[in-house]
Amino acid sequence: MSEVIRLEELTKTYGRRRGLAGLDLTVAEGEVFGYLGPNGAGKSTTIRLLLDLIRPTSGRALLFGEDCRRAAVRLHRRIGYLPGDFMVAPHQRVDQCLGFLAALRSGVPKARVEELAGRLDLDLGARIGALSKGNRQKVGLVQAFMHRPDLLILDEPTTGLDPLVQHTFLDLVREAKQAGQTVFMSSHVLAEVEAVADRVGMIREGRLVALDTVARLRDLAAHDVEVAFVGPADHTGLAALPEVSDLVVDGVTARLRLSGSPDGLIRLLAGHHLARLRVTEPDLEHLFLAHYRTDDTVEADRA
Amino acid sequence: MPDIMTRTLWEGRRALTGFTVGTALVGALYAGFYPQVADGAMGQAAQGFSPALRAALRMEDLTSAAGYLGSSVFGIIVPLIAVGWGIATGARAIAGDEEAGHLDLLLAHPVSRTKVVLHRFAALTAGAALIAGAVWVAMLAVRPGANLDDIGVDGFAAQCLALALLVVVFGTLALAIGAATGSRGAALGGSAATVVLTYAAQALAGQIGAGALRHLSPFHHYIGAEPLRHGFQWADLATLAGTALVLLVVAVTTFDRRDLAT
Repeated sequence: MSEVIRLEELTKTYGRRRGLAGLDLTVAEGEVFGYLGPNGAGKSTTIRLLLDLIRPTSGRALLFGEDCRRAAVRLHRRIGYLPGDFMVAPHQRVDQCLGFLAALRSGVPKARVEELAGRLDLDLGARIGALSKGNRQKVGLVQAFMHRPDLLILDEPTTGLDPLVQHTFLDLVREAKQAGQTVFMSSHVLAEVEAVADRVGMIREGRLVALDTVARLRDLAAHDVEVAFVGPADHTGLAALPEVSDLVVDGVTARLRLSGSPDGLIRLLAGHHLARLRVTEPDLEHLFLAHYRTDDTVEADRA
Repeated sequence: MPDIMTRTLWEGRRALTGFTVGTALVGALYAGFYPQVADGAMGQAAQGFSPALRAALRMEDLTSAAGYLGSSVFGIIVPLIAVGWGIATGARAIAGDEEAGHLDLLLAHPVSRTKVVLHRFAALTAGAALIAGAVWVAMLAVRPGANLDDIGVDGFAAQCLALALLVVVFGTLALAIGAATGSRGAALGGSAATVVLTYAAQALAGQIGAGALRHLSPFHHYIGAEPLRHGFQWADLATLAGTALVLLVVAVTTFDRRDLAT
């Protein structure tokens, strides 16, 4: 499978402020890549570098093997882009706006625009200026998907969308993947990335702090366990298990975090009568926060 | 391929329509006063001014049609209104759109930055031509009724062509400042200040003994050689066009090199 996105030592500084610090990353053809990080981590900076809206301080960014800057116009034909803040002139109707953008790409079948608008429940006759933020975002989604680009670059795509529309959006991403399109989407809402992404990269202060498949990250993760004993909780027994951390015992109930194999815990619990056992599958948000917390602890220890 | 140029004109259609109609009407209105002025009332008033002031306001000869129109209509009112449109349009062309957040999306399409600048410049030029053309038509319309027959159709055409180029020069200046800085405020402020300075240079350079200075002023090339009286001044027109082209090159090169603002 060929590489669609390749970042090599990509660095961007704004004055003294660091936007990106030596980012290395590749995204393969047909992959859905979730690009996660809190606001200000450098997600939009990466995306705007890919689109040649800003230029790297050092390093380089390649799309389809070509330099983002030198081949910008040619590359943009193959890209659908949803900006983080989708803004277009307010004094026009939705269909006029989409018609103009489609014409910049030498046209898009009208039926395709109508299909997308229908699925997203977007009124093509409405004036842009009169749209709510969520509806404006739908216009952004339609223009990004309508020409079936080889690469979709979506910056915080679900901002302002209600849950039903978010669902439709995820369907659109899945369909794009099935059609062999590559998707690079940023988010700080982790659940939406988890649902569709093959791989996830987590960025923080301009550096990639984690990069893996969603499945593997989940494996690495801790499980949150809540056990209600019949009779007093076995505090000592639980505390002695090496896989258990963050143990809190409140009467008959114990809450803990389990990392690694559940074997020891299950054997211990088998010797007790239990009223209830709940194990929660961690979502990426927890992973993400756990990851950050570890880093913070390391830094705190150094200090 | 739809042009960005026609799109730009369409998006600015309200302002352009307003300025076109407004400039032509104001021009026609003032030109229509000529019969009263020719009677000498205004000329007498101007006699009270010092010769230097009269020269600065181009009021040495208010009784001839060309003298009156050159001082009032084409000397200050019409060019300032039209240049106002040019500056506003030029400042919006890149910096205004950038500040509004519209450029990211446009430039993420298969459109080069150079192309955007060139199309915005073309739209500016077309708008300037429309305004100047409307003024020309308005002048020809009031000419018989307002005793302006001394000025030929070509005299009006020459002055209106110079007007269009004057608007293009200042509009392109605003476009270039905006393209280089990304700041609409800088584009508006920088070009408005240049208008004031160069207008003053044209009007006052002679009075302060620095006559050569006025050659730096686009206003001098616009009206200094009195196109209403003497017809097309090709050297002046070429100077204005050349100035606009140099500014356009500056806009293209600076815009292509920098980061777009978020």
